[in-house]
Amino acid sequence: MTAQDTIRARAKELLESGEVATFIGWEAGRFANQTTPLVITDAADADKLVFDEYCVNTLAKYVRDVVSRGKVGLVVRGCDSRGIIRLVTDKVIKREDVYLIGVGCPGMKDRKTGELLKKCAECRHNNPLEFDEMAGDAVEKPAAAERFAEVAEVEAMAQADRSRYFESVYAKCIRCYACRDVCPCCTCRECFVDARRENWVGKQNNVAENRFYGLTRVMHIGDRCIECGECERACPMDLPLMKLNRKVIQDMNDLFGEFESALSLEDTTEPLIEYRLDDVEEFM
Amino acid sequence: MSVVENNGAYPENWEPKIIAFCCHWCTYTGADLAGLNRMNYPANVRVLRIPCSGRMNPQYVIEALNKGCDGVLVCGCHPGDCHYVTGNYYARRRMLIFKRLLEYEGLEPERFQVRWISGAEAGKFRDTVMSVVEQVRALGPLNLTREIPAFELPRIPDDEDAFNAVPEEVTA
Amino acid sequence: MSRIGVFLCYCGSNIAGTVDVEAVAEMARTLPDVVYVETNKYTCSDPGQEGVKNAIIEKGIDRVVVGACSPRMHEPTWRKLLADTPVNPYMLEVANLREQCSWVHKDKEIATEKAKDLVKMAVAKVARLQPLHSIEIPVHKKALVIGGGIAGMQAALDIADAGFQVTIVERETSLGGKMVMLDKTFPTMDCSACICTPKMSEVGNHPNITVKSYSEVENVSGYIGNFEVTIREKAKYIDYDKCTGCGACETKCPQKVTNDFEQGMSERTAIYKMFPQAVPSKPVIDAAHCRKLQEGKCGVCAKVCPTGAINYEDEDKLTTETYGAVVFATGYKLIDWKPLYPEYGGGKYEDVITGLQFERLVNASGPTEGHILRPSDGTEPKSVVIIKCVGSRDPNKGKAYCSRACCMYSAKHAHQYLDKVPDGRCYVFYMDVRTPGKGYDEFYMNTLQDGAQYLRGRVSKIYREDGKLICKGEDTLTSQQVTVAADMVVLETAMVPADGIDELAAKFTVGRDADSWLVEAHAKLRPVETNTAGIFLAGTAQGPKDIPDSVCQAGAAASKVIGLLNKDKLMSNPQISHVNESLCQGDGACVGICPYGAISIVEKQFRENSRKVTRPVAQVNPGLCQGCGACTVTCRAGAMDLLGYTNESIMREVDALCQW
Repeated sequence: MTAQDTIRARAKELLESGEVATFIGWEAGRFANQTTPLVITDAADADKLVFDEYCVNTLAKYVRDVVSRGKVGLVVRGCDSRGIIRLVTDKVIKREDVYLIGVGCPGMKDRKTGELLKKCAECRHNNPLEFDEMAGDAVEKPAAAERFAEVAEVEAMAQADRSRYFESVYAKCIRCYACRDVCPCCTCRECFVDARRENWVGKQNNVAENRFYGLTRVMHIGDRCIECGECERACPMDLPLMKLNRKVIQDMNDLFGEFESALSLEDTTEPLIEYRLDDVEEFM
Repeated sequence: MSVVENNGAYPENWEPKIIAFCCHWCTYTGADLAGLNRMNYPANVRVLRIPCSGRMNPQYVIEALNKGCDGVLVCGCHPGDCHYVTGNYYARRRMLIFKRLLEYEGLEPERFQVRWISGAEAGKFRDTVMSVVEQVRALGPLNLTREIPAFELPRIPDDEDAFNAVPEEVTA
Repeated sequence: MSRIGVFLCYCGSNIAGTVDVEAVAEMARTLPDVVYVETNKYTCSDPGQEGVKNAIIEKGIDRVVVGACSPRMHEPTWRKLLADTPVNPYMLEVANLREQCSWVHKDKEIATEKAKDLVKMAVAKVARLQPLHSIEIPVHKKALVIGGGIAGMQAALDIADAGFQVTIVERETSLGGKMVMLDKTFPTMDCSACICTPKMSEVGNHPNITVKSYSEVENVSGYIGNFEVTIREKAKYIDYDKCTGCGACETKCPQKVTNDFEQGMSERTAIYKMFPQAVPSKPVIDAAHCRKLQEGKCGVCAKVCPTGAINYEDEDKLTTETYGAVVFATGYKLIDWKPLYPEYGGGKYEDVITGLQFERLVNASGPTEGHILRPSDGTEPKSVVIIKCVGSRDPNKGKAYCSRACCMYSAKHAHQYLDKVPDGRCYVFYMDVRTPGKGYDEFYMNTLQDGAQYLRGRVSKIYREDGKLICKGEDTLTSQQVTVAADMVVLETAMVPADGIDELAAKFTVGRDADSWLVEAHAKLRPVETNTAGIFLAGTAQGPKDIPDSVCQAGAAASKVIGLLNKDKLMSNPQISHVNESLCQGDGACVGICPYGAISIVEKQFRENSRKVTRPVAQVNPGLCQGCGACTVTCRAGAMDLLGYTNESIMREVDALCQW
């Protein structure tokens, strides 16, 4: 039985028995080699579920929208499961709100080029870290790209070049907030960009306001980012968002000790809400 | 972050604008003491009083730089001396990460500085203000780009052609 | 629309000498929402203040900017003034035109420009302020003292003598702490029991003091004036109302247990009083060792008890009471030197003992009835080595700090030994001798005259040879290797905080330093207060001390408690954190960051989208929050905001400044 068969069979059983109210997976999209996330409530729809190497969307964030209807079943790979861990740690959902069918991920491909997606090439945890059952075996861990390679590239640039580089990034941003909407760390009931009284970010779409959004988002999610790369994938302007996230993560690793967010439900390390008396000081 | 180059393009009488976020219990007191001692320092710094450096939200710094300050100074009690016990330990982590992030994006390090200044260190407050003002003066105005430069937007990638083309066969 | 009044002060020539106050006033009149601007020669003077009050009434002003000296100077004055007007005292912002402007700049033009900016900032901020109201916090006129050692007893007595109710919680079965274990006290050599036990009975009999022995603090909530404390009174298996303390049970109990009070050098029974003068003077059953409670057989004590006080069914009792103030007098214990110093035998040699064991050996009511005898064979040691700073001033193995009392009590031990064994020899290995205290150095000099031989250096190794303990060390004054063959070695070990202090202090959110000593609010100026309002420190809970210092500090803590309990109510600081529940997601990032434990997550019911939902939100305890604002920055959604320094007001201040 393939993983896809198991997923369909189990989704059907879970929905029929009423153990879950909704099930989230992927269905075939309109075009060849394309899938879209699928939320089903009827066991008869279970056969629409697919699992192939084009399931590019991460599913965790969808749970938030349907959890009010009851327990949610979903398929989780490494990234999805870390997203779930993130949501549980942030108390957006409870662990018992979800039933997780784990599946080892071989890495997903771009539907046009057939190449491994950037986020999958950088993936360090392709097998689920939290699950209730596995559909199929865990797969071998692929050799991940160097975690902070792209940060080092930017750091190697001269100050004025870096300044110009990010200026052009923020000039391109259209503030569609797709990066926020796919991010499993971005679960505020109201995002700071929508706060009218404080007026953190102006409504104009200009470099200054885009910069405010970009920098603040990194500060808000930096110590909780699960490095799924969904923000970058979802960005319609192809902005190098992980270069920002990874910079903060790299610094936290350097300064406050080895850390990777949301690897288990027990480890809730968030460097920015902790401190040590002997923390590094680069100023005085 | 300063894209526009200031090759002496700004007026001769330009004076840097610097905002200093100071905690009420240590640095603000130190600044008051500098006044009591009639110390003299440049008037380019305006102090904004916050209760504790732990109250210092990085977003205020972005706002200040975006809206026209040439430099930002954040000051609090020395580690271990926080009136609220732990506020400056959190501030230390936040400011450290934030400062590195700003510099990564190309801000000159001198434009955002963090210092611990106690209520007794009036001299240190004066010296810090003098040095920050001089450093920023040497850099010139921070002309952050605000408006989006006119350039051709890239085409939004992916399925743009698909809708015009003959539909491909839908996958099973 | 707000109606802002701006009051600018000349401060004689202090401000007006460098700042053109009239020009600043002219600018202020152009600012949005400013309806009235006034300059005054001395705004803080009586006529000046009267003018401000009149203007507020006449012009219908609802928020006030004062441009004058530092808010650290006169902010309370302005708040008090506003309290007499319709304007809320917190609708106030002070622009610091003196200390941070006129006094530090010389150029009038530049200083005037800066003053204008400062006023602009203040106007921008004050326009966003909201009225805030202090809450009256009632004060429960009752104090809790944790720990019944000398510090705890002294604090309790002082508070009780002032007429307030006090509860002492003591973990052991009797009051007395460490002091009652000591034989004599330096420098006067009073018998410790003779001065400590009267205090114990005074506490036990005081009408205002309730002693809860064999009890521990289980749970705490609340804040200054209102600490709700749950105390667990461990099962004693004896009805104290019936027990007369006759002691018949103790003589008949067949089960023998190592006696901790005698530092493991003798045995006691399973039903026991810690020591003869214990207060309360009634026994308890040590459940872990009682045959009846463990195996169900025996019951001898119940048979011999003339009043039928034994109750094997007894259970732990939980009681909850509200206290206005808490004193931590949790004391110390000696460091466990055995794993740290394998070179001293690591506990292998019975005749290498601690200072506290020596105290019991030399004590007339101790296991040897006051004869100094070696624990191993009961012979009188003819040569004794005393080693100081075992675990103290030794950052590599023990603690970096000096334990402060050891120099004196090692001198006392040398003196006592030479007194009781006149033909004995006593060697004291020391690093330094520190004797600052009344009569202390004289005492040390007398010990030297008694014949104690002081050798400056640490002992590097102790091993047994021919029944002797061979101590090898260096006399650093002569740079010679020294070897002493001793019959007994006394280690003057470091003081460390009592067991369980971390958990207990965390319950009260009292700060601890790296060594777990409790931290005072200010090392010099607030030495008996903690950063949690209403909680005070007495004795060695704060750090190593001798008895006189502990008693002093206990008295100081008591006076602070009395000052607090004398008030009927406290006014809270309204500039504290505030939760916008509609934004709060309840993820609790703010909870751990709060140094005062003021934030908790509670489940609350809301109506959202015409549906009832129950979800977690943060809640700020107004009695605990001190208004630092650290939580506000962790709150990404901005649900947590600091009243008086809101995100909105600071952002607008920044914006106002950037317009210059």
